Amino acid sequence: MNEEISITPSEVIEYMYCPRFIYFMLYLKIPQREEQRYKVQRGKEVHDRKTRINKKYLRKKIGVKEKLINQKLSSNKYNIHGVIDEILFLKDGTAASLDYKFAKDKGRLYNTYKYQAVMYSMLISDNYDIKANKAFIVYIRSKNKLKEITITKNDFKKVKKVLEEIIQIIKKGYYPKSTSYQKRCRDCCYRNICIK
Amino acid sequence: MLVWFVYDIVEDRPRRKIGDKAIELGLQRVQKSVFLGNVEETTADELLLYSEELINPDEDSVYMFPMCQEDFKKIEILGEAFNKAMANDELKTMFL
Repeated sequence: MNEEISITPSEVIEYMYCPRFIYFMLYLKIPQREEQRYKVQRGKEVHDRKTRINKKYLRKKIGVKEKLINQKLSSNKYNIHGVIDEILFLKDGTAASLDYKFAKDKGRLYNTYKYQAVMYSMLISDNYDIKANKAFIVYIRSKNKLKEITITKNDFKKVKKVLEEIIQIIKKGYYPKSTSYQKRCRDCCYRNICIK
Repeated sequence: MLVWFVYDIVEDRPRRKIGDKAIELGLQRVQKSVFLGNVEETTADELLLYSEELINPDEDSVYMFPMCQEDFKKIEILGEAFNKAMANDELKTMFL
């Protein structure tokens, strides 16, 4: 794989939403300025508060025996890096990531969340040499509902494919197809410069 | 989506701020504390989050009613009314 490129889960989420985000953000280097959005600011505040409280609290129900908070990890093997809200070491000898989402649980797991969880698992297994075939999400806006995600070998394959596609865009300036969901374009910050 | 945004807020400051925010996000004022507009789902959500932070939950109330186009066409109006086309995004500019 590539030496100097390292991708974050946020970038993979952007790619899944629309591949052209990567082209505009990382190849043309036009910032999104998403931090100016009210919902993003609120999410950040709540998120920061969440990681400050309950530092010692272990979720016994899901069999946690130890946890690490806000771990910054990178992996040269997969060319990825990121910060994991919580790494949970479980009684069954495996580990799992836990991610706080300032969102409501709409009854289905979005692929963006799933792929992010898969990337966290890659980081954990590469750094701690431990199996990570589970992940957890806490939906803050649904009364902190906890959801479990199972991660399969096939998911790893899919994420690796996405990572390769992202590297293609960043390195070679390949102009990808836009998302097929036209609804997403209406609220997109690049809609005025994106050639349909 | 087409939404009605209605509030009853006791304090002046939060009431003014929320009203301004509703207009800033593209809603049209229909009555003093009633707004209507065709906005993205995430925009409607933003307005609710913003309101939630400012209101006093013990004495204020905020409602957001989504409405489908079919029902919007059935609206009956008496007296001085809002511009239906403007509220529904069918008209981009209004010359008075």
